[in-house]
Amino acid sequence: MSNKHVKAIIIGAGAGGGCIAKELAGAGFSVVLLERGGWPVYDEYINDELISQRTQVLRPAFGPDPEKNPRVFIHPDGTRQVTNSLSGAIHHHIAACVGSGTVSYGAMAWRFMPEDFKMRSTYGEVPGAALEDWPISYNELEPFYQQAEWELGVAGDDSENPYAPPRKKPYPMPAFEQNVDGELLSAAARRLGLHPFPIPMLRNSVPYLNRPACIRNRTCVGYQCPVDAKNGTQNTVIPVAMSTGNCEVRTHCQVAEILSSENGKVKGVRYFDENNREQTQTADLVVVAGSASETARLLLNSKTRLFPNGLGNNYDLVGRFFQGHAYTGAFGLFDYEVKTYTGPGATFGLCDFNHHVEGMIGGGLLANEFNRMPYLFSQTRPPGAARWGKEHKAFQAKNFKKMAELHGPIQEMPMYENRVTVDDTVRDFWGIPVAAITGQRHPLDHENCKYLSARAEEILKEAGAIQTWQSVGGRGSVGGFQHQCGTTRMGNDPKTSVTDKYGRVHDIDNLFIADGSLMVTGGGFNPVLTINALGFWVGKNIVERM
Amino acid sequence: MSHQIIQDRREFLKASIMAFGGAIMLPSCLRNYTPFLFFTADEALLLTAICEQIIPADENGPGATQAGVIYYIDKQLYEVFTWEQDKYRLGLTAINESSLELFSANFDMLPTDKQLLFLKKMEGNELPDSYWKDNSASGFFRTIIQHTMQGFYGPPRHGGNKNYISYKMINLDYPYVVGRNLYE
Amino acid sequence: MKRSRIIAIIFIIAFVGFFGSYSAWNAAQPEHTCASCHEINPSFHSWQTSAHREIKCVECHGTALSNGLHSLQEKGNMVLMHFTGDKHSADIRMSEEQILAIMDACIRCHQTEYSQWASGGHSTTYGRIFLDESHNQMEQPYWDCLRCHGMFYDGTIYDLVEPVSTSGPWKLKDDQMAQRPVIPCMTCHQIHTENDPYGQFAQRLDHDHAEPVVFDTRFPAVALYLRSDKQFLRADFLPGVDFFHNGQKINVSDDPLQRLCIQCHAPNFRREAGSEDNRTPYGVHEGLSCMSCHNAHSGNARNSCVNCHPATSNCGLDITTMNTTFFNPQSEHNIHFVSCDDCH
Repeated sequence: MSNKHVKAIIIGAGAGGGCIAKELAGAGFSVVLLERGGWPVYDEYINDELISQRTQVLRPAFGPDPEKNPRVFIHPDGTRQVTNSLSGAIHHHIAACVGSGTVSYGAMAWRFMPEDFKMRSTYGEVPGAALEDWPISYNELEPFYQQAEWELGVAGDDSENPYAPPRKKPYPMPAFEQNVDGELLSAAARRLGLHPFPIPMLRNSVPYLNRPACIRNRTCVGYQCPVDAKNGTQNTVIPVAMSTGNCEVRTHCQVAEILSSENGKVKGVRYFDENNREQTQTADLVVVAGSASETARLLLNSKTRLFPNGLGNNYDLVGRFFQGHAYTGAFGLFDYEVKTYTGPGATFGLCDFNHHVEGMIGGGLLANEFNRMPYLFSQTRPPGAARWGKEHKAFQAKNFKKMAELHGPIQEMPMYENRVTVDDTVRDFWGIPVAAITGQRHPLDHENCKYLSARAEEILKEAGAIQTWQSVGGRGSVGGFQHQCGTTRMGNDPKTSVTDKYGRVHDIDNLFIADGSLMVTGGGFNPVLTINALGFWVGKNIVERM
Repeated sequence: MSHQIIQDRREFLKASIMAFGGAIMLPSCLRNYTPFLFFTADEALLLTAICEQIIPADENGPGATQAGVIYYIDKQLYEVFTWEQDKYRLGLTAINESSLELFSANFDMLPTDKQLLFLKKMEGNELPDSYWKDNSASGFFRTIIQHTMQGFYGPPRHGGNKNYISYKMINLDYPYVVGRNLYE
Repeated sequence: MKRSRIIAIIFIIAFVGFFGSYSAWNAAQPEHTCASCHEINPSFHSWQTSAHREIKCVECHGTALSNGLHSLQEKGNMVLMHFTGDKHSADIRMSEEQILAIMDACIRCHQTEYSQWASGGHSTTYGRIFLDESHNQMEQPYWDCLRCHGMFYDGTIYDLVEPVSTSGPWKLKDDQMAQRPVIPCMTCHQIHTENDPYGQFAQRLDHDHAEPVVFDTRFPAVALYLRSDKQFLRADFLPGVDFFHNGQKINVSDDPLQRLCIQCHAPNFRREAGSEDNRTPYGVHEGLSCMSCHNAHSGNARNSCVNCHPATSNCGLDITTMNTTFFNPQSEHNIHFVSCDDCH
């Protein structure tokens, strides 16, 4: 079956792919958007904790099928473990559906701070880490942050955040209110001289772009929204792209390889369609936006005469600097109820510990936490508490509504050795070699986590918690199970980066990347708005140049 | 109506299949029927006793047995956790053998204090080694704890937490009461 | 000739034999027929102990061949499971068409309740709910509509109505759906219920008060069908939640039937009484259950005042003609929230 030649193929309908699809289709490009999953169907997931994106015990609600999509994790001692999305963190799971993580995320809409784009010039060289500056600055990306905020829809108010990066236009929707623990903890933070403010959210505080306002559904993070008030690419930019008539979304399509011409340009892709039949689609240009792990895997699986080790990989950089976020924080028990379990649970954030701490490199935000549903709560106990039996049950009965928590993502140190490769001996359902992930965290990550957890505990104590304890992250294997990024780092020098500042793969004129893979460093923030902005940025530059 | 005729024809075909199927399936119905997909009745009895110690009925409310945790584990071992089947089959046998050696009785026949003593030994890998060569006692116990928690605190549609009784215990209202959105 | 006659005879014998046994099968007691398959043991047992135990399976479910393709498919799967040894899909789930067919059976006996339901708001249809232009313009249809309207619908909101937007014009993808009720009997009633309802009339003495306690026989027969869970949750297991008025917690009836009502007549996320579709009373009627005034099936509350009130109020006024929405729907004093200081 032959497919009609199009101007652009976009691989992956997630945070980056959705935005660039809208940008290209809106400029009149004919676009095919290939997605390995399907359209998300709320009725299939509803409010089921055991399949939610947060607690995937029985299956991942938003895909992919665990049996068809194995990966390999390479332990420090070299042992290779075949994993799937029920294997826990070491699988580095990524949702597979139109919208991808933006369907089920908690929807925090952070802009990175100017320092996040200049980590090397701000902090100098860090032994063992590969800190670099981005080839673009905050100011260059600012209009695209704004575009993301307005075209997807963000509710927020950063007037009380003294560290807020400069903005040219306010948020399109007013901020959300505080919940009970939010009021309590932000008051305590203020007493400690900190600067709490409402978390900017990709969620409608008022009706926006013809979709309704949030109903404060209890099961928000990890789930799809029953009233479509949470803004992902699947209900914003992708439908807009489709409405131009220029963008065709093909679901359940697993791309196997990017095809190249003899002249070194790419000419299309080979993929398996929804009936698992092999298909070829040609195009003038190809954009890869499959997530840090899958984008790297696809480039590495696309070998040509000019790129015998995979597209863009002549300097052995594709897949390197794989990063994520180490989450860290603290818990506090109160002698009265502080959780109402209205949704989503996270209401205020603090940026006092991003870049403004003597001796800390990077740092991270702190926020009160999303609702912890009963099974996840049963896995949460202070150190030394019973893990089963009468005592364990009594803790659950007594404290389910009396526990508050503050957590945040620590900016991980990018490392040369932390990487995605492919494993020829392990194939997925379609016979494509799978991603093999390896890497251990930099020691600084744990040090930074210790600092942030201690601050979180102080706030909980100040708020009157009768018992507090820290959960300190940042040890062990690389943190790409949450917010993975960095595998096709952008830069000006082809010897030290995979793409140029416009997301174009060095030496391949018509191959672009438009997802978290571009990120040089991961910031101390949830990355989705930055990925949206990068999608728009790469898209605009393609439209202007091609 | 042509639609009706087609349906009748299909129904006729279906009836023939039913009659044929009825004759063939009879032997399978004669086997001892248990409500379990994976466990034997004895295994279910033993595991129920273990789960009830992990989440006992007490002044805070019903325990694992009343919540139907065994049905959750049974269903998921059959449908999802197929890779854990051997661990359970061997592990439950090993528990009974260990219990017979230590206390001269099957686990589910022991009084509560002995059951707790046994499970603490199991948690600390202190059961007789000879029965635990292929299976780690503490590892198996951790697995049972996980599955019991899932069955007790997870949603009922997977077999456990009957009538949301664990939600009742923690005073979590379900279904979540929230209205449509008439803008204020 | 001869050959075709033989074929005809064989055919007639087969025909008579088949339909003979088929009608014998349908006429026999369920324990000898349907319940001989252990897959439906749970349903059989709950039927056997229910108020409907005198009514045979076929009277509601139809015969093996008369209950639509969905039912045939399900039974076919059960047969198949015996061949393959596969134990999946043992759950029996009825299609919306089956639910409505059973509703016809309900009506045969429960004519009063049916006519009450038909006269009230709960007999509304897919057409009236999903093609309501003024509502759709204000708020687009979404997944969650089906939680309370069309909870038995077999597809998703995208299969039901288009476009899923605020811009319209809207239409049902299948015109035939327009007249279907969205809140059938089985929204609030489960037919198979454990426990013998007759046995529950037994009285027991509460020794502290020496008062006879009558068991409530309404549950589990009154139960809400949860679309999310694809099963019923009995009304007395539904949560009672706190309601607020002006930031103060108000008294709320603990009637399980009211707990069922508020699932759909739900307040906003702050749980403010009277917000959104909620009418939880405060003011002089604070603490009353919906059922104190409203007929369960029709929703009608017209003649309910006399249940509690003498003809005149404390101030000597005829309570039915006081300035409330009971007397005049345009009144500024909603009967649910009216308080003494509204007039005094």
